[in-house]
Amino acid sequence: MNIHFKLNGTPTEVEAEADEMLLEVLRRELKLRSVRATCGIGICGACTVLVNGELISSCIFLAPLAEGCEITTVEGLGGDHPVQHAFEEEHAFQCGYCTPGMILTTKNFLEENPAPSDEEIKVALGGNLCRCGCYVKIIRAVKRAAREEHVQ
Amino acid sequence: MSNPRVTGAIRYAQDVEFDGMLYASILRSPYPHARVLKVDASAVPKSVVVLTLDDIRELGSYGCQIKDQTVLAIERARFVGDPVAAVAAPTKREADEALDLIDVEYEPLPGVFDAVEAVAEGAPLVHEHHAISDNDAAYFGIRPQEGTNICHRFRIRHGNIDEGFEQADVVVEETYRTPSAQHVPMEPHASVARWVDDRLEVWTGTQTPFNLRMDLAGIFSIPESQIRVISPPMGGAFGAKTFVRTEAIAACLARKANRPVKIVLSRYEEWLTLNRHPATIQVKLGAQADGTLVAKRVVCWVDTGAYADCGPGVAQKMGYAAVGPYRIPHVWVDSHCIYTNLPPNGAYRGYGAMQAVWASERTMDLLAAKLGMDPLEIRLKNVLVDGDQFCTGEVMHDVHFIECLHDIAEKIGWAENKQGKGLCVLMKGMQTPSRASIVVEANEDGSYTVYCATAEMGQGAWLSIRKMAAELLGVEVEKVHYPEPDTDIIPYDTRTTSSRSTYMMGRALVEAVRDLKRKGEIGYGECVNTGGLDPDTGQGVASTHWHQGAAAAEVSVDEETGKFQVLKLHAAIYAGHVVNRPGAELQNEGSMIMGLGTTLFEQITFEEGQPTNANLSDYNIPAAGDLPESFTSELLEREGADVHGLGETALPPIPPAIGNALYSLGIHLTDLPLSAEAVLQAIDAREQAKGGRS
Repeated sequence: MNIHFKLNGTPTEVEAEADEMLLEVLRRELKLRSVRATCGIGICGACTVLVNGELISSCIFLAPLAEGCEITTVEGLGGDHPVQHAFEEEHAFQCGYCTPGMILTTKNFLEENPAPSDEEIKVALGGNLCRCGCYVKIIRAVKRAAREEHVQ
Repeated sequence: MSNPRVTGAIRYAQDVEFDGMLYASILRSPYPHARVLKVDASAVPKSVVVLTLDDIRELGSYGCQIKDQTVLAIERARFVGDPVAAVAAPTKREADEALDLIDVEYEPLPGVFDAVEAVAEGAPLVHEHHAISDNDAAYFGIRPQEGTNICHRFRIRHGNIDEGFEQADVVVEETYRTPSAQHVPMEPHASVARWVDDRLEVWTGTQTPFNLRMDLAGIFSIPESQIRVISPPMGGAFGAKTFVRTEAIAACLARKANRPVKIVLSRYEEWLTLNRHPATIQVKLGAQADGTLVAKRVVCWVDTGAYADCGPGVAQKMGYAAVGPYRIPHVWVDSHCIYTNLPPNGAYRGYGAMQAVWASERTMDLLAAKLGMDPLEIRLKNVLVDGDQFCTGEVMHDVHFIECLHDIAEKIGWAENKQGKGLCVLMKGMQTPSRASIVVEANEDGSYTVYCATAEMGQGAWLSIRKMAAELLGVEVEKVHYPEPDTDIIPYDTRTTSSRSTYMMGRALVEAVRDLKRKGEIGYGECVNTGGLDPDTGQGVASTHWHQGAAAAEVSVDEETGKFQVLKLHAAIYAGHVVNRPGAELQNEGSMIMGLGTTLFEQITFEEGQPTNANLSDYNIPAAGDLPESFTSELLEREGADVHGLGETALPPIPPAIGNALYSLGIHLTDLPLSAEAVLQAIDAREQAKGGRS
């Protein structure tokens, strides 16, 4: 079947099986490599994308449900987003595999809570796992992003 | 913004693609031990390429230390997950569907799932013979015990153990158990293989490109020069991406299909590919009344699963790491690497040190308690200093355990109050012997290219090596290029393991830059460290370079439920000279967090050889919320000092620091992880010993 959605601002049409997950379609058909599989059961957050502004685990989100939606991946942030800057400045990654999911979660979270405490950040990142264990610097990056977005 | 990790532009092995590429799936044994009687793939459509026993029977066997593995299980499947067939199809979905059409007939056999039981009389034999590998990862004397499940026996005989215990005024004895754990690299194992004429090319996230090439050459009976291994950056590895994992099956399928073939494992398959060695360790430690250590006896039962992998090396390192960084005149160690019918166990951040340090450092606190001594004082009194002899006979140099201990004691506030607090100090060897070599080339545009086998798995090695090169060459780091390791163009390196790269490659780099300055266009440098241990006496040089650290923890326990909180965690690592501070901090913090997972909840459970928590819902890894309120680390530097490896040093001291903190409250635990249930039982035991809980 054909599915239509707006991907990072661009109207997009893709072919997918009715029972396929959005993750597979984004990777295979649209070559979006920032969207990554780890757990396959919606726990780790490596496959996080924004669907109509909501955080979604694309590994358990049926592709046809994206019909007519607006989808944002890290590619859509363009590289100059304050959250991306903050992650780079704070060295908030090692292997980088979970980083796109962390960045999207942070972006979404800071829109809701522009001045979070450490405890609130830890809760907000509960669905994004980093096996390299970069959490100390990730928390700093979230706080830096909050400051920078505030300045903007 | 240029960092490809932040923009998502980084390409891992799982992202490698070629036109006409097929996707593979692996059919795995559902039995932990079974005879494979028949594999019938006649129902599989012709568009799918199938690999069965007939395709691989003529191929060589492999194994980095013991040659005990074939591309598919030939006669017997030896663990739940042992590959018995594989397929490649135009899509992953078609490949998965084809697996259901393959009919396999098994005859289940009795299995053995515990290393201690596997060495008992009459235990089923997992392998009939243990052929020592010709791969250069078999770098030490391996002592398989024919007719048993023991594929390596390592011994240390130092002093006279009986006389030692006779001199002891106080002796403590305990047995400790550590379970299997999963590395959980966020990126699963992924490889792409293709044949270009008679040459095999493999893109794979690997820490060991040259060891992999050796084993692949043996499997296909072709010269190593006919194989090209390329290692893109990895989405985490932690020891899991070593030696042969998915590459041999991908290469066989690619040859049969005459097309490129990609394998990306599912998360479940990660549990069937490589895990951490479960271990049982018995420690007996004796000291004089003033706290001077006189004798230590250690026995390790190291469960390597159904195939040895690098288990013999792990058992050896566990054996000497369990002695600890102490002056002990009489030492006796027996460490056995033992087959069972569990999935293979291999390198896991620390390479056996975690299991050993848990046993050794918990015992130090038992001894301190029995002597009525301060746990810090007994460590300071016995810890190795420069010029001391270790139990291997080697004389220690460049050791800083006392500084590490002073730092953690200060940070945890040891002098003020010791209740609920615990300490740990550790030493960890670096791969010895080994060789690192590197080429530096000057480009016409004023930039430089380093050709180096060191793999990037997130540890930041490429940046560290580029930074060191830039400093030596007097240019900006942006002027130093580091292409992906490609065995066609890089010089030999032992492997990216045991936190050796910054130290060993750093030294090779100094030579290469010196050579470049002499010659003008290209320079070559190498660094060789020599040594090794006699497997029967443990005498020799265990390591030419020691990783040293210490950790302290503070806990609070709910005595009614056994639930406890780690309030403070601090680790101090001797770093000598830090090359890239944020990277070094990340390695330290990441090791501590992994250690926290191992302490608190990580444990693979098996039921008769079947993994029962092989997913990230039932098997938890630490999240941001698991960080203790106070979580700090220190990188100890000294003027003019050498670079010290630090990729894993801060993991092993975490479990004993927390275990000893609980012990300061009378809660004695011997088995990891430290569940609330176990704490509650230990509280009950303490109260019973006191004469009943009120």
